Amino acid sequence: MYPALLKELLRNRSALTGLILLALVMCAATLGHVWFPGDPWDMVGTPMLWPGEDPANPLGTDIMGRDMATGLVSGAKVSLLIGLVSTLISAVVGITFGALGGFYRGWIDAFLMRVTELFQTVPQFVLAVVLVAIFKPSVATATFAIGIVSWPPTARLVRSEFLLLREREFIQAARTLGMGDGRLILTQILPNALPPVIVIAALNIATAIQTEAALSFLGLGDPNVMSWGTIIGNGREQVVDAWYICGLPGIAIVIIVLAFSLLGEGLNDTLNPHLKER
Amino acid sequence: MADLLAIQGLRTWFHTRAGVARAVNDVSFAIQPGETLALVGESGSGKSVTAYSILRLINEPGRIEAGKILFNGTDLLKLDDKGIRSIRGDRVAMIFQEPLSAFNPVQTVGAQIVEAIRLHRRIGRRAAYHRAMELLEQVGIPSPAKRVHEFPHRLSGGMRQRAMIALALACEPDLLIADEPTTALDVTTQAQILKLLKSLQAENGMGLLLITHDLGVVAETADRAAVMYAGRVVEEGLVATLFTRPFHPYTAGLLASVSIDDLPPGARLPEIPGTVPSLLVMPRGCAFAERCPYAAGTDGCLDHAPAFLPVADDHRVACFRTPPTPRPPLHAEATGEAAGALLPLDAAARVVA
Amino acid sequence: MNTAARRRTETGADGRRDGAEEKPLLELRQVVKRFDTGAGTVHALEGVSLSIRRGETLGLVGESGCGKSTVARLVMDLYPPTSGTVHFDGKDIAKAGRDARKARHARLQMVFQDPFSSLNPRHRIGRTLEEPLIIHRRGNRKERAERVAWLLERVGLKPDAAQRYPHEFSGGQRQRIGIARALALRPELIVCDEAVSALDVSIRAQVLNLLLDLRKDYRVAYLFISHDLSIVRHMSDRVAVMYLGRIVEIAPRDDLWREPRHPYTRALMSAIPRVHPEQRNGARITLQGDLPSPLNPPAGCRFQTRCPFAAPRCRAEEPILYPATGEHWVACHFA
Repeated sequence: MYPALLKELLRNRSALTGLILLALVMCAATLGHVWFPGDPWDMVGTPMLWPGEDPANPLGTDIMGRDMATGLVSGAKVSLLIGLVSTLISAVVGITFGALGGFYRGWIDAFLMRVTELFQTVPQFVLAVVLVAIFKPSVATATFAIGIVSWPPTARLVRSEFLLLREREFIQAARTLGMGDGRLILTQILPNALPPVIVIAALNIATAIQTEAALSFLGLGDPNVMSWGTIIGNGREQVVDAWYICGLPGIAIVIIVLAFSLLGEGLNDTLNPHLKER
Repeated sequence: MADLLAIQGLRTWFHTRAGVARAVNDVSFAIQPGETLALVGESGSGKSVTAYSILRLINEPGRIEAGKILFNGTDLLKLDDKGIRSIRGDRVAMIFQEPLSAFNPVQTVGAQIVEAIRLHRRIGRRAAYHRAMELLEQVGIPSPAKRVHEFPHRLSGGMRQRAMIALALACEPDLLIADEPTTALDVTTQAQILKLLKSLQAENGMGLLLITHDLGVVAETADRAAVMYAGRVVEEGLVATLFTRPFHPYTAGLLASVSIDDLPPGARLPEIPGTVPSLLVMPRGCAFAERCPYAAGTDGCLDHAPAFLPVADDHRVACFRTPPTPRPPLHAEATGEAAGALLPLDAAARVVA
Repeated sequence: MNTAARRRTETGADGRRDGAEEKPLLELRQVVKRFDTGAGTVHALEGVSLSIRRGETLGLVGESGCGKSTVARLVMDLYPPTSGTVHFDGKDIAKAGRDARKARHARLQMVFQDPFSSLNPRHRIGRTLEEPLIIHRRGNRKERAERVAWLLERVGLKPDAAQRYPHEFSGGQRQRIGIARALALRPELIVCDEAVSALDVSIRAQVLNLLLDLRKDYRVAYLFISHDLSIVRHMSDRVAVMYLGRIVEIAPRDDLWREPRHPYTRALMSAIPRVHPEQRNGARITLQGDLPSPLNPPAGCRFQTRCPFAAPRCRAEEPILYPATGEHWVACHFA
């Protein structure tokens, strides 16, 4: 089933573009340090070198003389890590809440949905800022905070899928075979509810990366880690004299967000059964 | 008499990713004014696609590839968009299987009928409302003055189907296409709707193209029937002829499959073995050959598609077998002789003679 | 018509009526089921009692909204009755513990209406058929695979079907798979809820024949639910006619067709469009109006709003089901 899905994805234009962009960022994140080794915090050259001015720092340096290329490569790693892990957290929480609510309905559903609404009434970003501020700013807390504020849409989606699927005859058939609830949820309903969740997860990654950049920009990032948001935050004073300090990580964020959005859109096209017909 | 509608060599194909589905493949038939023709077939036989092709309601990836659809002598396939729109809902109207999805849920029934009238007639809103009420009364909806302001979901299934018939009759069409009009209804309601359709037809003399899979409905409603199988008409003729002396083995098989009332309870039912071939990979020869009890003995069936030719007056068949000797109608046997003569009701025996 | 001839063939075909009277395999006693919805309370079932003997087929016929599918779901324990009891093999199913419930599921199976939604689209057929065996811990892997192959052969499918997904099959083939799944645990009772109504006529006969064969070979009992009177007559030993949440008539098949007593039964019989309309016995009774809403069923007899013979008594007093002759029960003041 999955090789077939991959083949279909590669035939979809937006998914293909997304995958190519994603592959570029992945390469930068995993292989980048081969070309740009060293600590991104090290001051290695003259401050505020423009890109191309000095071959030793091909993308220039920032106000403190730190190498931009090394910083961007490190930022790619951080962005991907936080984007993926926080989305995983939000998917797990969202699927659990949605699945239990949609499957059992009644008071369990009412309770879980009230909790979900509670999270939705507070603006996501404000909540993330508060959470990171309460705990010590670090990669772990940022990941956790982003994950914990972004699960409600997933929960609602999973719940509505479960509400529809639980009435389908093959689910009733499984019940009449004497199947227990856990097995019913995990082996029968969930696999059928996953396609839209995968789509929303891809889009979630894009949002999570933006949120992380915003947190770092406000100085709520991990002080020991160079992320794109940190670079932009540090360069904001020089945006007129040296726009590239904010511009380059900005472009990087656009590329990665675009990659996941296109991938999400492509997944939606390929996984959506209505479009697949005929 | 001039044909009200004559379809000649119609081909509607669907160009899917998996290949070309020949949903309607060389279909020809005609309807006289005031006549009821039933288009009979199972799901996927192409009967609905044929109906939708008449009003050119075929969407991508479907395309009408060839043929003529002559309505009162005009080829509907040659009309421009404006021309076909002026025919739709005015001279040719259509009713659907599921009335709830055919109505706009946020408009009242009356408003939708008024809109239908005013699309084709220069007539004031007030007069159109009056006409809408008349129509609702004509189709047997109680207290039409009240119902005209109801939303579609407030009506029961049977009432909704009546309202849709009223909508279709708004401009007194010459031809009414009814696509499985009673399939979604219960038997007792179905009987009411069929009775209504017949009486309306008698009143204003319109032609009726009835699309259905239910042979009982055909027998009780239609004058003539065309049986479709895998995109082609395999047999066409008067209902009385077709149902008593079916010639095509598929027609005979269908009739035998619904002969359940003539069998002793619990006895094995006559069945047509196998399944319908995929529209994507049509066999070279006769589409029914694989399931046909006679194909084995006839070399031609697997290699060539049989032509659609007359075997008697007003009785055309697409089959290679030679016409059988006439036999008395089946129901004469059933009612006239002992019960034993009825059993076993073997379709093959009846056709082969 | 032709009753004598029919009876002769029938006693030859099945000897199930022999043997001493035993306790019923399935019994519903005064079952009431109400659903609370936003619009009010739906009175789905109001005091339904019926029973099925071992190896017997009870036909349950009625129009949409009469509650016949609710009966199926109550029997399958998909939801509990509001009041009344459902007994399987003498035991109240509501009182069963976890193990007893599981054991009952093996003996009581269901074939669903929609062949397209009754199979999990993401599971291969082999897995769908093996699932019941795994749940009930029947056999090892090899024995289960053998059983799956046997099931596929039994319902007339090729062994390679096990490797394929539901979308690769036609409606009729999927319904065969649904029957194979129901058969996997060798049940004593199979509930068929509109099992053939979604199928084309030429395929319908194939599936009905399969059900008939299974009954002959394994002596399985059926609760055969359908809106199609002809099919119910063909499949059933006894038939119950439902209208708006109540059984209005219940009788052995031949008694019912020889002398339908309830006006609704007669209307239903006469409304079926026949291929040879001349064969209809008696004049057609066309009912007026539509089925009343189960949200507020009419007072008195539930059929009085559409009954051509309704009298003042029918509006005031609800008729109870009483035995007209022997096993022939009817709920009408004038039957």
